[in-house]
Amino acid sequence: MGDEATRTAGHRSLAEQLRSWTDDQVAELLTSRPDLTTPAPHDFSQLASRATIRSSVARALDSLTRGELSVLDALVVAGQTTDEELVGIVHAETSYVAATLARLRALALAWDSPEGLRPLSGVADCLAGGVDGGVSGLRPRTPDAAPLNVVRERLDALSEEARALLDHVVAAGGEATAGSARRNLRPEDAATPAEELLSRGLLTPGRDDLLVVPGEVGLALRGGRTTTGPVDLVPDLATAERPSRLTESAAAGAAGEFCRRTELLLEWWSTRPATALRTGGLGVRELKAAAAHLQLTEPDTALVVETASAAGLVATRADVDGNPVWVPTDAFDTWLDAEPAARWTTLARAWLTSARLPGLVGSRGTDDKPWNALTPELSSMLMPETRALTLAALAEVPPGHALASGTGLPSLVARLTWLRPRRPRSRADQVAWTLAEAAALGVTGLDALSPYGRALVAGDDPTPLLAAALPEPVDHVLIQADLTAVAPGPVESGIARSLQLVADIESRGAATVYRFTTSSLRRALDAGWTAAEVHAFLASVSRTPVPQPLTYLVDDAVRTFGQVRVGYAESFVRSDDEAALAALVRHPKAASLGLRLLAPTVLVSTTPVDVLLVRLRELGVAPVVEGPDGTVRVGRPDVLRARTPRQRVAAQDDARHAAQVAAAVRSLRAGDAAARVRPAAAVSPAGALSALRDAIERRTAVVIGFTDNQGVVGERTVDPISVEGGQLTAHDRTADDVRTFAVHRISRVTPAP
Amino acid sequence: MNGPLIVQSDKSLLLEVDHEQADDCRRAIAPFAELERSPEHIHTYRLTPLGLWNARAAGHDAEQVIDTLLTYSRYAVPHNLLVDVAETMARYGRLRLEKHPVHGLVLASTDRPVLEEVLRAKKVAGMLGDRIDDDTVAVHPSERGNLKQVLLKLGWPAEDFAGYVDGEAHPIDLETDGWELRSYQAEAADSFWHGGSGVVVLPCGAGKTIVGAAAMAQARATTLILVTNTVSARQWKDELVRRTSLTADEIGEYSGAVKEIRPVTIATYQVMTTKRKGVYPHLELFDARDWGLIVYDEVHLLPAPIFRMTADLQARRRIGLTATLVREDGREGDVFSLIGPKRYDAPWKDIESQGWIAPADCVEVRVTLPDAVRLAYATAEPEERYRLAACTREKVAVTRDLVARHRGQPTLVIGQYLEQLDELSAALDAPMITGDTTVRERQRLYDAFRHGEIDLLVVSKVANFSIDLPSAEVAIQVSGSFGSRQEEAQRLGRLLRPGDPGPDGERKVARFYTLVSRDTVDADFAQNRQRFLAEQGYAYRIIDAVDLAGA
Repeated sequence: MGDEATRTAGHRSLAEQLRSWTDDQVAELLTSRPDLTTPAPHDFSQLASRATIRSSVARALDSLTRGELSVLDALVVAGQTTDEELVGIVHAETSYVAATLARLRALALAWDSPEGLRPLSGVADCLAGGVDGGVSGLRPRTPDAAPLNVVRERLDALSEEARALLDHVVAAGGEATAGSARRNLRPEDAATPAEELLSRGLLTPGRDDLLVVPGEVGLALRGGRTTTGPVDLVPDLATAERPSRLTESAAAGAAGEFCRRTELLLEWWSTRPATALRTGGLGVRELKAAAAHLQLTEPDTALVVETASAAGLVATRADVDGNPVWVPTDAFDTWLDAEPAARWTTLARAWLTSARLPGLVGSRGTDDKPWNALTPELSSMLMPETRALTLAALAEVPPGHALASGTGLPSLVARLTWLRPRRPRSRADQVAWTLAEAAALGVTGLDALSPYGRALVAGDDPTPLLAAALPEPVDHVLIQADLTAVAPGPVESGIARSLQLVADIESRGAATVYRFTTSSLRRALDAGWTAAEVHAFLASVSRTPVPQPLTYLVDDAVRTFGQVRVGYAESFVRSDDEAALAALVRHPKAASLGLRLLAPTVLVSTTPVDVLLVRLRELGVAPVVEGPDGTVRVGRPDVLRARTPRQRVAAQDDARHAAQVAAAVRSLRAGDAAARVRPAAAVSPAGALSALRDAIERRTAVVIGFTDNQGVVGERTVDPISVEGGQLTAHDRTADDVRTFAVHRISRVTPAP
Repeated sequence: MNGPLIVQSDKSLLLEVDHEQADDCRRAIAPFAELERSPEHIHTYRLTPLGLWNARAAGHDAEQVIDTLLTYSRYAVPHNLLVDVAETMARYGRLRLEKHPVHGLVLASTDRPVLEEVLRAKKVAGMLGDRIDDDTVAVHPSERGNLKQVLLKLGWPAEDFAGYVDGEAHPIDLETDGWELRSYQAEAADSFWHGGSGVVVLPCGAGKTIVGAAAMAQARATTLILVTNTVSARQWKDELVRRTSLTADEIGEYSGAVKEIRPVTIATYQVMTTKRKGVYPHLELFDARDWGLIVYDEVHLLPAPIFRMTADLQARRRIGLTATLVREDGREGDVFSLIGPKRYDAPWKDIESQGWIAPADCVEVRVTLPDAVRLAYATAEPEERYRLAACTREKVAVTRDLVARHRGQPTLVIGQYLEQLDELSAALDAPMITGDTTVRERQRLYDAFRHGEIDLLVVSKVANFSIDLPSAEVAIQVSGSFGSRQEEAQRLGRLLRPGDPGPDGERKVARFYTLVSRDTVDADFAQNRQRFLAEQGYAYRIIDAVDLAGA
């Protein structure tokens, strides 16, 4: 891997390479590795330094596919190399390797040194997870590795025992203890198989007296490539044909149903708030009650609740006793006013970007406590990614096809595992939840993405597409002699509200069945309707003649309405002396007492008893208090609303982040210009770190100013190996040994002469 | 997508009857959905586990059911409903009752966990014998019916492959001279025969006796017929002699008065359930012959002892006949598991439109109580209230008015309370039939009524069932047994037997009046019964008694 093979001239350091990039390239890096931007780096050396921190590298690796990880792994095995050579040792299409290398460079996980393409030093440590994580398990090559054909010749020349031993070591993980094997022998002098392998360079001494199989041997054993199988094969989805007519109607049906259920639940909670747990969640009993009210299973109910919460339609507030309760927010009223399709869009978008895990509700956590809906801890930052990737995979399935039943889900899990192999094992569950939730929401129908679902996934507005798929609202009902009315479709909202007032709902769904009863009609009369209005309304919404029994029922309800009257009074006055009461009512000083004659012998007053007693005595009567008695209150309970919680919308996040990136790039350039006029030696602690990391990447020696335990300041020439946990591990040339130095005691770092 | 059916998520199906595909759709969903109500515009069906298992028993699978729903549905079918249908139907037949060559009757399963679950259920204890192998367990033959009943309650209905015995053969043929089997009667008899056992639901007056006769002609074996009372037994006998090759000598009556056992024996529920010294001596009738067919008339009234006895008769073919499978005691499930699933059902209005039953005009007359009676009612004990409201004297005057209006048309006055009927009988000067009337006297009065010699009868609830009075045109119901819906159906049924067309070619229109005291429990109960009529498609009117003159 000589310099002559490198296409680019190479850069002295990663920082220098980054500095040579265009602003767009830098911005792209900062966008795809957002952890580099906060706080904004001062200059490119700091940016480069931050990019090599282990946790940042691990994060960057998390966003790679298995194929990309395999290419990166091959780069680690190869050490510093050229693109062409790498194409040779990765089992994949040339174009795939080239594209992947471009991405690795763009992510600053690999950079072009003068000696060739190099992975960041932290990458090798961060690559973990075995074959599923794209890790080949091969060691890095020795710096002076023999060419492939030479290694092959050496392998062929091995004795049987030595070959068996080598196979054994490879099978055991590529490492073995050295034992008493002598080193630095010629093959002819080898006495044991181990010594034979050592002498031929097929085993090399590693750290801690271990012998390792070097990368070039592993490559030779695998036919010159890091893997035996191709790494760029994306797992296919198992799909089956399913007419889009069916899937689309199933999806639209589910979408309508989901909105209806959300509305039903929140209307219910408006008048009967759900008690919130001390921890903020929704108790099992409340969830059960909601499930019964919605006629849904508890998991589906949990999804309705969680989605409403994610959309900001429900929040907690204190009830009259000061206990927290879940009630709809004022955003719910706005939501109700929207068209059905727009309502769905609100819910679906909230769901798509929500980190909540409704699928866990009802199961038990590690502490054996059941997960409650709306509990703050019930979320995972990976969930939005899972949802996005799952739906994106579904979007690949052409219309008219759907995930195959049975094999579809495992293939989808396999696809996601390939796309993000470093994600945790809970991925399979999350994919299954996403599919179930998407079906319940109507994003998919029969496991095929609906047309408006595609728009949702693509970030377009799904509302018009959904509106076209939802059934036309109807403006009439069919009233029947058994005192029911059937609306054969979704009812226009104004008519629906009136119908709900005069009749009880018996069955909900695409159609609605209403039943007229005496009590439902009374409810309408209570709300101020007159008999004539009820008759006129029924005649106007019914497409068929109103049956005579219903007309009769209305008149009958009106006849008995208001026969008993209820009023409000603070106290009453009664006396057998009618004349005395009549005189009292007309007494000029009694006007403020609010007295009213109900019957010749009974007065009521709006004045409380204690005041009334005193005033009556002033008026010259001698009242006595009658035993305590209750009063009747009328009125309906208040509809409760909480304030809509302030939430960050994903789009805002993106915009904010984009602005941060742009600002960061500008300040980088400025900072860099300033840094260039400063002396090269790093004197600040942050500068020292950058300089050390830079030296690690460049594999060059530096002179550090170091204060030792006795407080003596000295200078040492070291080859830095790693910086971690406030400690610099470096090869101290003076002592010819690997030592650790506390970073805070390093006063300055200058390049070694 | 513009089908006639709307599938609701609460598992009700709304069928728009005026839709062009409505008939096809009704036929397609009838095997698995229960008709719940059939008012004028939209019929409501319901998917129940029972209905779905019935469909499985009749050879329909979940795929077909789902396909039917998707085909006829106007809107998208809720996904969870489809899943539920598939899951429910998959529960049927995991357990099978089979004949084992060595061990006789066995319960077998292809799904061992289900079998284990069932074996551990307390309710099946004692019904099962030894475990034969992992998937099979012996069943005591006498527990065949009980086991099926229990398994149904456990939610794992067993498919019965054990078959039927043929019984003692006896030639029976239909003699179609001057009449023929109506299409729905033939369909009902056929679907019963293909299903093996089951219940046929047809409205009163639609000729259920003929369906029974047709079933007997298919079985061609000795037959036991169970009916509600003696008068009804005689009517069955007359009808069988008229419609089939059977002679009067071949038909026996087994009642309180006569105890004959012949190749075809008609027994009353009453005699079967007579208890002496703690035993039912007459239940032995079931074993008296090797019956090939058992007919249960008015199966919705089947008394509990007969249920228990029927459980032992699972190897014999059974047909149940009824106008409504509504049982006020909610034991429809027992009928399904012991007699068999519903094999045939048709909306009343359909049969009416074909002219097989008479159209009816139902009127509810609201009687306003005078203040004195209202006060008495308000202060009465709750259990006395209904009687007080139902038996108000005001109804007598209204009844007299109505009778006078329909003078010349054969009229029945039907009531619940004897003193009220006495009063009416005296006021109207009409003969009265109650439970105390002798059978001979009843027969005489019915005959006189049938032949037009008398045109007014006051009857108690004894006339609710199986009395053939084809000439009746007007019924005035003055009181009923609380809110009983099936009583309402039966009483209306008295009027629905189509008479011969009048001289002008017009068929009669039956008039059904119900007298109700306003603002009392009487009105509440009436509402319950009227709702049933409306759900059967009978529009009704409500008028005030004072407006009657004008109506």
